[in-house]
Amino acid sequence: MKSFRRTLWLATLAAAALTAAPAVFAQKAPAKAESKEDIVLGGSIPLTGVFAFAGIAIDQGIKDYLSILNDGGGIKGRKVRYVPEDTGYKVDQSMAAFKKITSQNKVSLYYADSTGFVKTVNPELDRNQNILMTGASFAKEISDAQKYPLQFMVGPNYSEMVGILLQYIAKTKPGAKIALVYSDTEFGRDPVDAARAEAKKLGLNLATEIVTPPGSVDVSAEVVKLRRADPDYTIFHGYVSAPIPEFINQAKALNLKTAFMGTFWSMDNTTVMRMGANVDGFLGVMPYRYYYDAEGKSPMLERIRKMRPEYQSTGYMQGFLSAMLLTEAARRTLEAGNELTGKNMKTALSSIRNFDTGGIMGVPLSIKGNSIPVGRIYRADFKQQKMVPASEWISLQQ
Amino acid sequence: MRIGSAKESYAADTALFDSTTQRVWIGLLAAALCAFPFVASEYWLYLACLVAINIASTTGLNLLTGYTGLVSLGQAAFMGLGAYTVAILQTRLGSPFVVNLLAGGGVAMLAGVLVGLPSLRVKGLYLAIATIAAGVIAHFMFSHFSSLTGGGSGLTVPPARFFGIELDDSFKLYWVIVPVTVLMLLGAVNLFRTRIGRAFIAIRDRDISAEVLGISLLHYKLLSFAISSFYAGVAGGLFAYFFRAVTPESFPLLMSIFFLAAVIVGGMGSILGSILGAVFMTLVPELLKLMVGWLPVSVFGGNAALILSPIRTIVFGSMIVLFLIFEPHGLAEVWRRIRRLFHLWPFRT
Repeated sequence: MKSFRRTLWLATLAAAALTAAPAVFAQKAPAKAESKEDIVLGGSIPLTGVFAFAGIAIDQGIKDYLSILNDGGGIKGRKVRYVPEDTGYKVDQSMAAFKKITSQNKVSLYYADSTGFVKTVNPELDRNQNILMTGASFAKEISDAQKYPLQFMVGPNYSEMVGILLQYIAKTKPGAKIALVYSDTEFGRDPVDAARAEAKKLGLNLATEIVTPPGSVDVSAEVVKLRRADPDYTIFHGYVSAPIPEFINQAKALNLKTAFMGTFWSMDNTTVMRMGANVDGFLGVMPYRYYYDAEGKSPMLERIRKMRPEYQSTGYMQGFLSAMLLTEAARRTLEAGNELTGKNMKTALSSIRNFDTGGIMGVPLSIKGNSIPVGRIYRADFKQQKMVPASEWISLQQ
Repeated sequence: MRIGSAKESYAADTALFDSTTQRVWIGLLAAALCAFPFVASEYWLYLACLVAINIASTTGLNLLTGYTGLVSLGQAAFMGLGAYTVAILQTRLGSPFVVNLLAGGGVAMLAGVLVGLPSLRVKGLYLAIATIAAGVIAHFMFSHFSSLTGGGSGLTVPPARFFGIELDDSFKLYWVIVPVTVLMLLGAVNLFRTRIGRAFIAIRDRDISAEVLGISLLHYKLLSFAISSFYAGVAGGLFAYFFRAVTPESFPLLMSIFFLAAVIVGGMGSILGSILGAVFMTLVPELLKLMVGWLPVSVFGGNAALILSPIRTIVFGSMIVLFLIFEPHGLAEVWRRIRRLFHLWPFRT
């Protein structure tokens, strides 16, 4: 037994050494066998961990758009090669993935998985100057183009999402009473200050703010607080699902008349419908159209439906549109005869006006800053098991 | 004991490295560490710096948990305090990074003494739970003292400067992070050649007997917390300079569990164990990624990353479980066994 154990250990160590040694030195070599023409889109993608549900969909979305693009000849005859790496939704691993991908490839475009990573990698982007980045974070801070000159987000930031909800409320029920429920996380707290200011500006009454600890499940005390405030609308932010269903179920049991609302990451059709029958009427802001939306002309959505007959989540749409805009920036840069530097690509991206996304977004898209403050209110129809439009497209763009 | 290394004097008996062979190997290791940045890619330099930071923090926790027997789940919080101190000093005062790192360690050390107070009454799991409170309080402070900490969005740290050079990439930071870690390791090894270190071990083995021997539990338990937190604080400071962004969510409870796991996998009560544990916990997931990358992708129809990523996580988890079953004394014991194999070869142990 003892000798077996020793052999086992030696074998493990030998395997580890064999794995590590060539890797350390091999990677010092310049880019690995790569066709000179390829444009590389790197990605720190959370294929495992708490954000894997979105990461897997984002990954598929990026892949599908790039296969459509490459099948159509790529960008000026150059193919776009996707190099993803799993991060487990951890900043240190996302950063390791970034370092690994950028040291093995000449990366021009990059998809980032979290706000933490985006902040961490920002000085690196400034130093590198050759990468344009977007990602899964809609944090308000990232819409500051001075601070994050080589990044952008594919949709409104969290404050703008809440702003769109408040505009809808102000139009539907002027002077309405509102409750803001958010998680005590960076994600949750992001739009709070902006929500307060915007509610005041629109003449809405922000009656109460309820903060829930991260990962909280029991919300009885919070629901009592909500009942006391008796708001017309309750906006949730900083959650994907839990504790939204608990809130809704307990509120229904108490006969609360409030309408519940969510922001992008809690708006996926499958996630909402899984909350149960009480979710019927749940409202929320979506910058993209749902997989099954059939209204109007939407060639890209039809193409997606053809490629993937089963429902694709909102994360998929986010990944798909991210790849579309990143590569559009690269295309415009090359067409203008410029080099693929971060600055050139950002300038090209900012030149986008009335861009047709093929139906992924419901309105032609114009990019003026680091965010695209456009969205539409959708409502949960439990009977149809679908999110259906509840408003026109609302734009906060001046 | 090694054949042919008779200890003929007290100095020889207490020497850190007791044979020429050992000294040669250490010299080779030092040379390799110096040469590494010139041959390794940015990715491996990044990992080397990350491993060094994790080694510093794991060593701190090992002093407390492995040597003194006080289980703590507050290591990430102490790192956070160090990181925030460094970030605040660097952004507001722009003071030299050495001063900032020491201040980071100092602030964490004071917090460590406070958090260590319950250790005088509770032990084991009870103490672990008490130290979790440190994390909760620290998180609250980081996210609510916005004027100082930047609130939810945290602080962006300007690069450290050394004689006018901005330490803004892994290559330059390597020359700060690795030497600081080496110094801390030497400090830790030397600690156990003093009364303090031996007192820690005595407390771990049986605290009542230690007190009977004249070791003040109040003094030494708090001292152990202080030293351990100082290590965490300095590691946190290095973290701040390395990642250049510090947010309340940079130091979750999971991070404390990571360090505890590193201590257990590496070997409790062993400095070598701290090194091996931190290396294992940081590098094995990356090595598994590399291995996955070498598998024939076509078998998985282009979805290799998607299919293999969860498997990789399961393999990593299983490896930890297997370690605990087959080698409860940790990697340090494996290392000793391998050394013994070479010392006694061709004879068997």
